[in-house]
Parts: sequence; structure tokens; C-alpha cells
Amino acid sequence: METAVAPRLEVHDVSMRFGGVVALEHASLAARAGEVTCLLGDNGAGKSTLIKIMGGVHPPTSGAYLLDGEVVRFRSPSDALSLGIATVYQDLAMVPLMSVWRNFFLGSEPTTGWGPTRRIDLARCREETRTELASMGIELRDPEQTVGSLSGGERQAVAIARALHFGARVLILDEPTAALGVQQSERVLAHVRTAAERGVAVVLVTHSPHHAFSVGDRFVVLRRGRVVTDEPREALSVDRLTGLMSGASA
Amino acid sequence: MLAVTLAAVVATAGCGEPSERSLTATDGAARGDLRIVAVTHGVSANPFWSVVINGLDDAARDMGVAVEYQAPNTFDMVAMSELIDAAVASRPDGLVVSVPDPDALGGAIRAAVDAGVPVVTINSGEVASASLGALAHVGQAEYDAGFGGGERLAQAGVHRVLCVNQEVGNAALDTRCQGLQDALAGHEVTSSVLAVELADPEDTRQRVAGALSADPTIDGMLTLGTTGAEPALAALRDLGRVGAVRLGTFDLSTQVLEAIRDGEIDFAIDQQQYLQGYLPVVLLTLYLETGTVPGGGQAIPTGPGFVTIETAQQVMDLTRRGLR
Amino acid sequence: MSGRAARVLARPEAAAAVGAVLIWVLFAGLAGPPFRSMAGTASYLNAAAPLGILGVGVALLMIGGEFDLSVGSIVGVSGMSVMLLTTEVGWSVWPAIFATVLLCLLIGFLNGLTVVRTQLPSFIVTLATLFILRGLTIAAARGFTRRTQLGGLDDVAGYDLASYAFGSAPFAGLRVSIAWWLGTAALATWVLLRTPWGNWIFAAGGQAEAARNVGVRVGRVKIGLFMTTAFCACLVGILQAVRFTGADALRGQLQEFYAIIAVVIGGTLLTGGYGSVVGAVFGALIFGMVRQGIVMAGVEADWFQVVLGGMLLLAVFVNRYALVRAQRAS
Repeated sequence: METAVAPRLEVHDVSMRFGGVVALEHASLAARAGEVTCLLGDNGAGKSTLIKIMGGVHPPTSGAYLLDGEVVRFRSPSDALSLGIATVYQDLAMVPLMSVWRNFFLGSEPTTGWGPTRRIDLARCREETRTELASMGIELRDPEQTVGSLSGGERQAVAIARALHFGARVLILDEPTAALGVQQSERVLAHVRTAAERGVAVVLVTHSPHHAFSVGDRFVVLRRGRVVTDEPREALSVDRLTGLMSGASA
Repeated sequence: MLAVTLAAVVATAGCGEPSERSLTATDGAARGDLRIVAVTHGVSANPFWSVVINGLDDAARDMGVAVEYQAPNTFDMVAMSELIDAAVASRPDGLVVSVPDPDALGGAIRAAVDAGVPVVTINSGEVASASLGALAHVGQAEYDAGFGGGERLAQAGVHRVLCVNQEVGNAALDTRCQGLQDALAGHEVTSSVLAVELADPEDTRQRVAGALSADPTIDGMLTLGTTGAEPALAALRDLGRVGAVRLGTFDLSTQVLEAIRDGEIDFAIDQQQYLQGYLPVVLLTLYLETGTVPGGGQAIPTGPGFVTIETAQQVMDLTRRGLR
Repeated sequence: MSGRAARVLARPEAAAAVGAVLIWVLFAGLAGPPFRSMAGTASYLNAAAPLGILGVGVALLMIGGEFDLSVGSIVGVSGMSVMLLTTEVGWSVWPAIFATVLLCLLIGFLNGLTVVRTQLPSFIVTLATLFILRGLTIAAARGFTRRTQLGGLDDVAGYDLASYAFGSAPFAGLRVSIAWWLGTAALATWVLLRTPWGNWIFAAGGQAEAARNVGVRVGRVKIGLFMTTAFCACLVGILQAVRFTGADALRGQLQEFYAIIAVVIGGTLLTGGYGSVVGAVFGALIFGMVRQGIVMAGVEADWFQVVLGGMLLLAVFVNRYALVRAQRAS
């Protein structure tokens, strides 16, 4: 659906060159608040490159980056994060040997006390971790348990809950269901839906047209660095989407 | 958890206090009960020190006492002082210790003396020994050894001598050269010091050769260790001046002994380190039994012993038996 | 087993604590009353303290995912710096100590910067630094004084106060270095477990990418950790220089390896992301008890190397066990 408000995040006509290799050519993608935009394509299509640009890992060789309609430049993922753009990478979102609450508040630890006695507010950390995860439907046995002891789906949920808790306005998810079974995938997709319902602009990168179609509002297909499809839900079906991804004529 | 453990450790520390023992043993302790600990800076794998250890072991057997040997595995004064502390804490009847660095080890040795353990120093630290509270020092007096070497060279008829010092700044070695020079001065022989690198035989050889070429009147040399002697001899061979330049050295090695036997080196000054192991055990045993100490406050010299062409073969045999 | 007890035993330092108790019992039996006496206890606590201080810094760094093999050489630099500044340049003791600390912090900063910028393994970078620093220490000593062992610090102005702060044995033979050890360990434990920096250290060692993705400045954390190990090594060098009123260009040799062994015995993983400063304290304590206990038991000190090798193997097993526990922890 079209709105008069500018998309929350938009990359416009971006290209990315690495030496002689062209990873992206004239690609555009708009992510709108409250919507799930699915980014699909085969391996090597340029999905990772595109979301790295969106997440602030490196600037594009050419093209514009707009946040709420205004041009922005990032120098690092931290810059992007501070503007509310959170990226959740499949394997690299959590530190497995650390506890859930430590992971949850990593980089944004709440403190109490002042000067040399400034310390982490442990009670607050444990309590808020428990509540936030509960609101995503996860009951933690023990906030001290390590992230490594959680299932893959639970880990993704923690990452999403973390991003939402710290005020993400754009949430980019890199293949969150790729390594998960059916049940866990469904739960993660439910969390994705929840995030969108809370007004976040979600970009979901996935291999699977089925998963995409179960939550997506808009679908962008990349092939060899170019956007070959950019359609809303009404214009597509699962089969058609699958066909587009595999290279049948658009 | 940590606090509890450490508190427990310190609390139990009181549990093992035996009553004070008088260690100037007139309590009739049998020799078999006596236990002496030796702590030196010499790793037992070092050939020089393994002779000292043999001396300790033989004396232990002959005297009928128990002797333990401890040394750090590198030249490390920190580790050595900790070993001394541990040895003292084990309440030995006597302590034998070398003192290569009196400043670093002084604290630990004084603590041993204060704890009532009789101490005999060996090998190094002869000057500091008495002030540290040791009963006696058994070792080679560096000055006298250098002096003796100077006398020998003078008697061989030299006119100008080079003292080859591989570690200028090491007080013991500097003293050796000083003794040499004083002895020679008494015979109106001039001398000077040539500094060379301890760990670099090639450099040593070149420097010696250079010095000999620059001053052809040099007809005598004294090296302060086998690391100096072997390259110096090589330099003489290179210049074809073996025999024309009289060469003496401190300390023994197989090469040096063979050169003496073959007449290439005149003499070696042997500090007879076997005695540095053997005698302290005897001294401590007798002290514990009778309260006597020889020496009258002077160091008991174990050297210099001069090994010459007459005795070289015998010494080589003894070296194979670990006695020299 | 109750939940509380299970939780305590699952902590990284638990195995080392139990180990320390067992070693104590062993030597209390082998070496008898001397080991249990105040003199004996002071003997092994004093021996453990320098290694313990190194262990604090090395533990933090290893939890943060890196190694510093140059700490032993920094000990040598530190002592020699104090001695050269006082006896050759003519400063009094405290300015020399202050300047030495700054020098060591600079070395740590350079170590860290090199590792972070070049992305080379810290094992290699600090191995190179180990040699470079040791060589410079020997060269500087010989260059100024033609000797490698310097003495006479007690003649320099300011020594008395320094002796009190760094070199004294104020209580029953227990040296003040023990207080420095436990003090730095307490501070480091606080930082590690109770502050945001500690969280970043665990994250940097456990999964640096994940940490970067949420805005943790991993590079800065690591540089800070290298400066910490350098500071700890500096402290050990100063303690030894003041206590022995001099320096030796070879001081600190091999200490980096002993420190790593002590830290690993204490439950820290070689791969980073998991560990404990308290465990490293127990590791150093075990080291001290073994080193001194062997002598007190009348065993030749040569056997220490055999025991050391055995402890290293034990450390590897403990490490593997700790990893399994960590991965299953819940």
C-alpha cells in the first residue's frame, strides 16, 4: 500500500563495486514502518551486500541512502545502530558463552552508582530481560543461562527482542530461519510479525518463498546484483514468487 | 569463596609450629638425623656445577648426613631467593649457598641466619659472606688467583701481557685481572685489559688476533674462562704464534686440558669446585657437633690450583669421573 | 545437589579452588609441619604473588580473546628502566617509577594497536615483542653500564618510602606484594563481573563480531587489555627492583608461560570468552604451593620441571572440561 509518508529507510539506485567485481547495480529498496519487506534471491545475488549497505557496514560505491526521506551517511554499524537501524545476522548475533541478560544488554548496559563505583544494575538487567522475552512468548528458566543453551529459534527471538527493546526503528534480519526446523521457523516468523505490528520497518532476507510469503507485505527479488522484482503482496502468489526467484520470466 | 580459602590458608599456618630447636647441636643428635640443604645458582645440567654436586654427595656419604641440592632452572636471583626461603622454612640443620648477587640474596640469607640456621657460602660472594652472617666462605679468592697467574707468567719470562676479560663490569672477573696486573707490576711486566664478548667466540678470536697484530710485543695472555681460552688459542693458531705467546687461563674444559697436555697452553687455574661441594658439608657437620669453624673469619680458598703439562692427563681422567 | 551448590560448582574457578585445597593437603602431608608453619605459608604466598599479579592481567586478556607473550620481557624492561633512570640518569625513585609505568603502558598500547590494526594473531605479535623488548633491555643495560645486573637502588632518594610500599614484609614474613596481588585481583574481578567493560571483555573474546554489531568498540577494549597486562608486568618489575634493590636484564624470563598455565588452571579458556580472575588467583596459589612445597618436602628442585609439565597437561584437561561445562551451562 502506498502512503504519503516517506519510507523509513530507503536505498536508491545503489551500486557496489569491489575491485573489478560488481556486486550490486542500480538497486533500490524501500522499507516502510509497520511493513515486512522481504528480500529474496539466490546465493551470490547480492542480498548480503545490500543489507550490509543498509546496516552501515560500508557505504555504497554510488547511490543514495535515505532515512525518513533525508540523506544520511554512516561510518560504522554503530552509527547506524544509534539511528535505530538494527541488523541481526544469522550466526553472529549472540555471544554463546555469555548469559542471556549479558547478551541482551551488551553495549547498552544500564548502570547504577557513580564515579569509580559505577556498576551494572544487575537486578534491572535480569528483570527486564525476563519481561521483554516473556512479551515475545519466551519463558526463561534462568536469566543466567547461557545463550548457547538456547535453541536456534530462541536465540533469534532474543536478538529480535533486544533490537526492539533498544528502540530499533528498522530491523534487518539476515536469513533467520535458514538453519531452523518447521516449528522454530514459525515461531521466529511470528516474532517478525510482532515487530512489524509495533511499527518497526522490517527487512527480512530469506531463501524461502514460503517463509517470505507467510509474513511479507512487499517482495524484492535480486538476481546477479539487480532488482528484478519489487511488488506488493496483492500482486503475487507463492508460486509466482518461487518462479521469479528461480529465474522464470518475470 | 576466595576470601574464605585464603583466610583458611593463613589460619592453618599457625598449626604447624614445632617448638624451637637449638641448632648448635649439643643435643646429641646423631649424624644420621642431620639434614643440610644446598642452594646455588648453578643448574645441575651445567658441567661445572655437576662437579660441585658430586662433592656434596660424596661428602654426605662420607659424613653420614643428608644433603639436598636446589637450584633455579635459569640464572634468576628472584627464583633463587625463593628457594632459599623455602629451604629455610623446611628447617634444615645447615645451609650451603652461593652468592652471585649479595644485594639480591642478602635478605634471604640474613633471614636464614636469624632463624638460627648455620650458613656456609661457596663459590661467589666472598667479600659479603661475613657481613651476611655466614660462618665461613669456601671458594676461590679471585684476586689471589689472578695474582698467582701473574706470577706464573712472569716466571715464564714474558714482558707484556694481555688480560682477556669476557665480561668487563663483572666484579669477580675484574678482580682477577687486577690481581694479574699487580703481580706482573711487581716483576716490571706491563699489562693491559682486552674486553671481549662473552657469548661470541668469533668476535673474541678476531679481537685477540687484532690486539696481537697491533702490538707485536705482547708475549703473554691470561683468559678469564674457557669461553675466552678457546677462541684465544684459535687466534694464536691462526697467527702461527702458539708457544711464542704464553697462554694461561681460568677454569677447565676438555679442549683446554688437551691443549695443556699438548703444550699449547701453559696452565689453567682450577678453582677445584669439587672442594666447594665437599668441604662445606664437612664444616657444617663438625660445627653442629663441636661448634668449631676453621678459617678464623677468612675465606677458605679452594683455589687456585694450577693444572700444567705434568698433571694434565691425570686431571683429564678425573674429569671423566666427575671429580674435577 | 541443591541449585545453589550446583551453581557455585559450575563457576569457572571451582575446579581451581578444589585443586588448591587438594595440593595443600598433599604438601601438608609430604612436607609436614614446615609447610603448615607461618614461615612455610609465607614462603609460598610470597612466591605466588608476582605470578598472581601477572595472572590477573593475562586472565583478563585471555578472556578477551588474546595472548600476551611479552609480559615476561616487560617485567625485565620495568626493573631496568627504574634502575637506569635512577642510577644512570640521576632521578629519584618515585619519578623513575612513574615514568616506568608510563613506558610500560605505552608498550601495552603499541602491542594492542599492532594486534588490532594488523589483525595478526596476538600470539605472533607479542612473541616478536618478547624478543625485541628483551634484546633492548640487555642492550640498554650494557650500553649504559657494560653490565646486565645493576644494583644500588637503596642509595637513591625516595627509596625508603618505596621500600615500604613495594618491598616490605610487614606481617609475619608475608610480603606486601601479596596485598598488591589480591588488590589487583579484586579490582579486576569487579571490573570483569560488575561493569559494562567486563561485559565487553567477555563479548570480545566470545564472539567479537556479535559485539561489534551491537556497537561495542572491540578494538579499544583489546588495546585496553594489552595495556592492563603491561601494567601488571610493570608492577611486578617494580616490586622486584625495590625488593632486591636492583635489576637484572633477564628478569621475568619464562614468566609469560607460567602465567598462562596458572590462568588456564584457573578455568579460563584458551579460546577466550570464558574464565575467571579468581580462578587465576587459585592457579597462581597452586603454582606457589607446588614450587615451594617441592623444596620443603626435600625433593630436588629439578623435579619442578617435571611437575610443571604435568600441571600443563592437567591444565589442558581442565580447559577441555571447563569448555564442555560452559557450553552446557544452564
